[in-house]
Order: sequence, then structure tokens, then C-alpha cells
Amino acid sequence: MSDNQLSKHTIGGRNLVKPSVYGGVVIILAGLPLFIKSPYWLHVFILTFIYIVVAVSFRTIAISGQFHLAHAAFMGVGAYLAGMASKWFGWPPWLTIPLAALATAGIGMLIGYPFARLRALYYALGSLFFGLTIVNIIIAAKDWTGGWPGLTGIEPLISNASRIHYYYFFLGLTLLCLAALYRFEFSRIGTSLKAINQSYLVASSVGINEAFYRILAMGVGCFFAGLAGATYAHYNLLLSWTSFNLLATLWIVMYVLIGGIGNFAGPIIGTAILIMVPEFARELREYVPFISAAMLLIVIFVMPKGLAGLPHLVRSWITKLSERKMAGDAS
Amino acid sequence: MDPELLVGTLSNVLISSAMFTLAALGFAFIFNMMGILNLAHGAIYMIGGYVTYQFAVVFGLNPWAAILISAVIFALFGIFLEKYCFRPFIGNFDFSVVVCVAVSVILQQAVNIMVGTKIMSIPSLAEGIFRAGLVSVSYERITIFVIGGILAGIVICFVWKTKMGLQMQAVTQNREAASLQGINVNRVYAIACAIGSGLAAVAGSLMGAFTSLNPFMGDAMLLKVIMLVILAGAGSTGGVVIGGVILGAMNAVLPVLFSGEVAEVIYVAIIVVLLLSRPQGLFGHEFEIK
Repeated sequence: MSDNQLSKHTIGGRNLVKPSVYGGVVIILAGLPLFIKSPYWLHVFILTFIYIVVAVSFRTIAISGQFHLAHAAFMGVGAYLAGMASKWFGWPPWLTIPLAALATAGIGMLIGYPFARLRALYYALGSLFFGLTIVNIIIAAKDWTGGWPGLTGIEPLISNASRIHYYYFFLGLTLLCLAALYRFEFSRIGTSLKAINQSYLVASSVGINEAFYRILAMGVGCFFAGLAGATYAHYNLLLSWTSFNLLATLWIVMYVLIGGIGNFAGPIIGTAILIMVPEFARELREYVPFISAAMLLIVIFVMPKGLAGLPHLVRSWITKLSERKMAGDAS
Repeated sequence: MDPELLVGTLSNVLISSAMFTLAALGFAFIFNMMGILNLAHGAIYMIGGYVTYQFAVVFGLNPWAAILISAVIFALFGIFLEKYCFRPFIGNFDFSVVVCVAVSVILQQAVNIMVGTKIMSIPSLAEGIFRAGLVSVSYERITIFVIGGILAGIVICFVWKTKMGLQMQAVTQNREAASLQGINVNRVYAIACAIGSGLAAVAGSLMGAFTSLNPFMGDAMLLKVIMLVILAGAGSTGGVVIGGVILGAMNAVLPVLFSGEVAEVIYVAIIVVLLLSRPQGLFGHEFEIK
């Protein structure tokens, strides 16, 4: 993005394009239940909100260069902790959700300590198998977690509520989480994490404690994954380990990579597109996964920066076209 | 311990070792040379079994010929994958993961649509039971183990002894330096992918004859294969065989000692501990992928 293009839309030196786009999207989402009455579509939106939090928190860990392939499993830790506390101890949702999120963050940081010595691919594989361990423990501890059939009997988040109440609850929660994660990324800590990603040797040579910051990122990322999982448990009321296995993690990774991992908006766009578009095509039934796969292939072959890089890409195409036209006119 | 259980476990160890090694060799080649985590490998293993089933049962061919045809088809598919899906994303780990997931989703869903989830089995490759004193082992188990072992041996000899294999080792060690020595790196990649995918299809077919086929068998095998490559370490071909034996032993012995679910937990936890204590694996060297 060059400076002269920006200057058209700035007031007092501040770029107003992005804030106005974000504000517009939030206003549209807030007004959406007025037009969409179908409970099914509200459910789709609620799931999208939950997975946006998970995908953005995945990216929070990924900005230090670590692929946390146990992220869905950590969402499952939050979900199952909240669900079990609600079912076996009868704790109310306003207590189980924060406690489950904090416990997930604690587990994440505890695990982050030994994992801080693994980098890049080894970290990805290590966390992959750790996630698998979590899922296997969930299956094995069937007396508490329900095992294969899943966990039922969780207290609903809002008693006697319609989908619209849940819609506004999750919209608000997601915006809050996004604001928190945005602040985290553009704080001093987030900058340090990006420095670690670029070169952990240089970063540690200027006094950034690599292990500390990476464990901190794990804690923050897992906190939000646990929070999303716990609210999901109290919303869905049925937990199955299949929602948190390796395939679920891989789809979260797909949301982030398709949206564009280099951009805060990337995971949000990626999650919305990859969850919503197959829902539009759900009359095709068993052919829906082909649509998802086709979207993945189109994005990686056409858009090297993901969907979030699309405006930039279109602008460069237009520039290229007009340059070619000008060259044609001159000759 | 009663001899029946002992022999049964032992033959399970041998068969799982052979199958894991066979399936993992191709994955290890692609991983070591191109730095690509081929998450579509499990899907190729699964669909290889189904193609063999198609030729052996629906078209009525000899099962051995069917396995051969399936291997050739997937070797060609491996070349296609390398050229259009892997090569554009070498050095771009993120997108290579995406392309593998997309290919795997397409293959798995295609099988799901075409055959559904009904369980089917490739006709038995050998009849009869071998008896010696107290022990008895079916000839099918022996055949599968022997075929798996011979194929793995041939591939290892290929990598260690032939010119092409030495070129593969050179590319594994240093891509740029190998290219400077006049090695056609892209051709080496293509051959590695062809061999790897062909072997995966053979392993899937043998497993389909030994047990049964289902559209999700690839996922379980993919995890085993990744475990094996971690165990063996990057850049080591011989390590894959030893890793296969260790993993096969764990796979067969742990369910005897513990109940099924607990065995799974212990199994995976061992791999996590191994990764934390020795990330480069038992025989590999540290591997840098960005």
C-alpha cells in the first residue's frame, strides 16, 4: 500500500478506511437477527463466532513462529472442564467458564515449558501428538468425560433463551476477545513474539527471553481457546471428542492459513468464509467437502497472502493492467 | 504366557512393523527431501486399497495383479502430486500443509461417495494355516510379512546402492549442493514421490487383504507414519526400518498389557516424551524447516 493511496482517506493523519470497514461489519452483524429468523442460520453464525476466537488465538501462538497443532484439543480441555464441572459439581456457567479458561491457560503454560525447547516443525509435531494424547485421555477417562458417545447433561448458559440471545452473547464475547487479542498482538509482548519469529538468535541477543515469551503466548492463546471451548460446551450442551481431534485442529489451521497468517483480520475472514460458504451449498450434501477443498486450492494457487491479501492483490492487478494499457497506448 | 498368545503377538509385531515401514518409507522420502509434511499420504494408502479392491473383486483380476496395477496407478499419481502440488510450495511450509489437506479431503470424500462406509475386504492372498507343534500361523500373515519385508528391503537397497538412490541421499543432505553437482533435483523428487505413493498403495492393499477396508483407515495410518518418522529422525532411511520395528512392537504389545484406550494414551505419550527428550529422533539429525 503506497502512501498516496492512503492519503485520500485520512483525517488528521489517521487512516480511516479500516476502522470504518470494521465498524460497518459490526453494525451489520448486530442488525442481522432482524432479517435472519432461521434458528439454523443463527446457529451457523454462533459457531462462526466461536471458531473465530479459536482461530485468532491460534494465530496469537503462531506469530512467534510456532504451529500449535493441539489447539482444538485445548479447546476441548476448556469444553470438557466446564462441562464436567457443570455436570458433576453443579457449578453455574458464570463460574465454570472463567475457571475452565484459566485452567486451560494454566495447562497450556505448564505444557509450554517443556515445549519451549522445540522449534518450528518439531514444535508442530510435538503439539500434534500432545493434542492426540489429550483426545485419547478424553476417550479413556469415560467415567468422567462420557468417552466415545460424548458428554451430556451440561447446564445451558442462559436458561430458556432463544438463539437470538445466544447470538448477541457470542457476538459480544467474540468482539471482546478480538479486542483483547488485538491489544496483545500490538503490545510490546506481541512485537517481541514477532521478533522471535524472525530470528530467535537475534531476538535473544537483544534481551528477549525466548522461552518466557513463548510460554506467555501459549498461556494467552490457550486461555482464549479454553474460553471458546467452555462457552461452546454451555451452548451446545453435548460434547463429543470428535470436535477436538486432529482433523478439527487441521481445519482451524486451514481457517488461519486461508485467511492469511500475516494479518490480524486473516483468521477472521478465513473462518467466516470456510464455515459460511459450505453452508450456502448444503443442498449438495456429500459434495460439500469438495467445495471446501476447491476453496483451499484456489486460495493457495492464486492468493499468496491469503484472503486478507485480496484487496492488495486486486489493486496490484489493476495497476498492472493499466500499466500494460499505457504501454500499449504509447507504442 | 501361553504359546498361542505369544505367537499371535509376535506375528502381529512382524506384520505391523512391515506395514508401518512400507507406508512410512514414502512419507520419509518426501519429508526428508522436500521438507513437506505429506498429510495426503494416509489418503493415498487408503485409496490404494480401494483401487486394488476394484480390480480384484469388481473386475475379477488376480489379487497380485490388482496390487501391481494399483501401485503403478499411484506411482503415476505421485508424480502428478509432486509436479503440481508439492513443487510449487517447496520452502512454503504453510501452503504445503494446505495443499496436502485439500488433496486428502478430495480423495477421502471421493471414496466416501463412491463406496460409502460399508466395510469390504480384498480376497485373501494365501489360504491355509501353517502348523508346527503347538503354534499355528495363517499363511496369509506369513505372505504379507514376507512381501512387506522384501519390498522394504528392495527400496532400502535402491537408496543405498543405486546411482538414483545416492542422488536421493545427496538431495536429502543438501539440495543446493546436489544441484551444483549436476543432479536433476526435480527428477529425484518425482521418483521419490512415485516410489512413496506406490509403496503406500501396496501397504494399503496388503492391509485391506489382511483386515478390511474403510474410508478412515488412512487417518490412523498417517498418525502412525508421522510417529515413525519422528522416531526414526529426519534424513535416515535405515532408521525408518528400525523405527518401524519399535512402533510395530508397541502397536502389538501395548494392547495386550493394557486395555485398548489406556494403551492408546501410553502409546502417544511415549512419542511426546521422545520428541521432548530427543527431537532429532533416534537416528536422524536436526532438521531446520521454516
